[in-house]
Amino acid sequence: MGRPGFVLDVDERTPPLLMHQGEGFRLERLPLGSQVIYPPESLPGIVNLDGAIRHALAHPHGSDPLPQLLRRGMRLTIVFDDLSLPLPPMRTPDVRQRVIEQVLELAAAAGVDDVELIAANSLHRRMTPAELKRTVGERVFRAFYPDHLRNHDAEDPANLVHLGTTPHGEDVEINRRATESDLIVYVNITLTAMSGGSKSVCVGLASYASLRHHHNVHTLRHSCSFNDPSSSAMHHSYDRMADVIGGHVPVFTIETTLNNEPFPAALRFLTRREWEWNLTDQASYLAVKRGNDLASPKLRRRIWQGTEAPYGVTGVHAGAPSQVHPHTLAAVHRQQLTEVSGQADVALFGLPYICPYNVNSIMNPILVMSLGLGYFFNLYRGKPIVRQGGVAIFYHPMPPEFHPVHHPSYIDFYELLAETTDPVMLETKYEKQFATDPWYTHLYRTSYAYHGVHPFYMWYWGAHAMQHLDDVIFVGGNRSSTARLGFRAASSLADALELASDTVGRNPQISYLHAPPLVLADVR
Amino acid sequence: MTTLRDELRLLRHGRNWRGRARVPRSAQRWRLPDDGDDFPTAWARTPALGALRHVLQHGVLKPVVWSQVRPVVYGREYLDSVRGPAVFVANHSSHLDTPVILGALPRRITENLAVGAAADYFFDSRAIAAATTLLFNAFPVERRGSRRGRSLAAKLVDEGWSLLLYPEGSRTVDGWLTAFKLGTAQLCAMKRVPAVPIALRGTFAAMPRGRRWPRPGRPRVTVRIGRPLHIGADETVPEFRARLVRAVATLWAEDDLGWYRALRAAADDVLALPAGSRSALPTTASGQPAEEGDMAAWRRVWEATRPPANDGPRQVWTD
Repeated sequence: MGRPGFVLDVDERTPPLLMHQGEGFRLERLPLGSQVIYPPESLPGIVNLDGAIRHALAHPHGSDPLPQLLRRGMRLTIVFDDLSLPLPPMRTPDVRQRVIEQVLELAAAAGVDDVELIAANSLHRRMTPAELKRTVGERVFRAFYPDHLRNHDAEDPANLVHLGTTPHGEDVEINRRATESDLIVYVNITLTAMSGGSKSVCVGLASYASLRHHHNVHTLRHSCSFNDPSSSAMHHSYDRMADVIGGHVPVFTIETTLNNEPFPAALRFLTRREWEWNLTDQASYLAVKRGNDLASPKLRRRIWQGTEAPYGVTGVHAGAPSQVHPHTLAAVHRQQLTEVSGQADVALFGLPYICPYNVNSIMNPILVMSLGLGYFFNLYRGKPIVRQGGVAIFYHPMPPEFHPVHHPSYIDFYELLAETTDPVMLETKYEKQFATDPWYTHLYRTSYAYHGVHPFYMWYWGAHAMQHLDDVIFVGGNRSSTARLGFRAASSLADALELASDTVGRNPQISYLHAPPLVLADVR
Repeated sequence: MTTLRDELRLLRHGRNWRGRARVPRSAQRWRLPDDGDDFPTAWARTPALGALRHVLQHGVLKPVVWSQVRPVVYGREYLDSVRGPAVFVANHSSHLDTPVILGALPRRITENLAVGAAADYFFDSRAIAAATTLLFNAFPVERRGSRRGRSLAAKLVDEGWSLLLYPEGSRTVDGWLTAFKLGTAQLCAMKRVPAVPIALRGTFAAMPRGRRWPRPGRPRVTVRIGRPLHIGADETVPEFRARLVRAVATLWAEDDLGWYRALRAAADDVLALPAGSRSALPTTASGQPAEEGDMAAWRRVWEATRPPANDGPRQVWTD
């Protein structure tokens, strides 16, 4: 059993602490008295994973066992999370492959012929055949690709069905094949508390018409945080939509949770507490750090993007989504939750090289903002790590680089930021134009591009943080791109604290969220 | 891009030559379980190494320490009655404490004395552990975690060794007396050995935490040895601990009040005593118990480093 997460008070004994910084990392000496929020140590993975999956399918929560739901002649649709989960991509065999194989074995035994597999990529870019194969495994890929294993297309009117509206007037429009199935089996990986549950189907298989009801500035500003479903307006919207979907088609969900092993053994020092680094860890740090710094940007990116996480699976729960998800959340909390007493004036975050939207791609400045002010800022339950009117300091070089195939609309969105960075202004003035642009739609459907509206959603992701914080500073950030986003750049932590002193004074309480591995701060 | 040298310097910061860092205080509770391998110390208790230690202590250590500070020792006569193992109990505010006490005690005591030293501090690196063991006849004392209280102390007493222990557990940060842990009183109760209270004044001012050498000017240091205390037949361990704290606090107050007034203050129960997480300065130079509560940090240090009012011979009676 790993040790629980805890809050370190930096004292004179504390060695310099590890800080992620894009496709790199560094050691940083924090001011005495700073607090560091450490995640719980990684929990052991399930040894007999196939046995656990079998058990979950046979003993579901709030549902009949899966074998009893399968029958000859039925239409079965298996939906699975796309490549945005987990991060980094897990070492093969992916847990989705292992679950899907067992579901298909049961379906074959029951004589089900009409089976479709759909990647729930929503408005994300389509997964390439290689990415699909990596996720579902060779056997499934060979048996179903390309006719019965495909990506969801949120811009194909012929394959979308409007199921109705919620009591709040929210349109529910999802994939036609799914709605016309006798059973949807959803295979999920819940990496953070925001994933899974109602979100799976009503986001993963939805269209823009449906997504716009919860992916907007107002909802996200009232999702405090979106990693705490009970306090998240976005999740309340998901729940309402899930009720509508549940009235049309039964959903059997299989949710899996992972431990805190995002890096391979060679990078073990990234997950160890710094004062426990032995000579091997220190030598690894030095070798990897120097090698990484000396490598060309292209090689560096290839190495980082080639990293596979040796994740262990900590839980497999199956059944009705509403019954399963509390068990999943409990497993996530067991692995990630750390109690924190009080809010800080300044929060530090070291942003890593990957976010859900740059797998095998480039993390452009808008994605950096989304990762920092969206995902990392929202890694809390209760209250934000930093107080209202405080300052967030992020570590990331934020190069103004874009992947022209994956993120074409981001390039144009970046230009918009020269005019305004106000999420409401961007939403009201430009969202629809980008969302309905035929060229972006064409690239989304036929190439491997994120949907035209996607950069707006990324910007909204940080809307809560932008409203909450008085200043945002990027240590080591490119000055031009940082300024374009409306933030400030500093060359060192000392400079950043100097800039922050205008807002929070000269002796601020500092909290550093030591992630990854992921930690969810339970701020009391 | 940082240079390799900068990177190495950052990596080495706070680590010893073996690359090990001390566990931050707030992480002590979550430290990795010990592997159970205590640094061996029995080799240092052989007669040959004892003789070498005597030469080192009295030929090197004491002259060096006495050249840097000006120790004044009181109460050595109380040690006449100590025969056999005893536990010497002192307040702890400086790395000077052990050399000063060893220099102040008679040879018949020091040649049979082992010193309890923090396992996580002095036994973290093998080189420092070996040097500490040889020079002070030290043995590791676990201050925290599952192995706390399982030191060699009881075994050493059984073997006839006297012990020097610091029941505060660590050097005080502001020079004030902090609460005693229960282990020392427990040991005395268990082994039925006397405890000899010792109060040190001036070592904090001479070389507090963070200093590696005494400050210039040969500051005065007083070592006050009290009468040996035996645990009573009906006395509980916490009661005996309270008596020990009171004895050390009384000796401490002698510097300010003189011997008799300190005894009177103890009898009248007006000495400020540490309890729980609250530290205390038994008296000030004014003779009044120091203020309690939220005194500013600088004032605590200020009081603790106040030069002794009387630098002359021992006061038995005062005005």
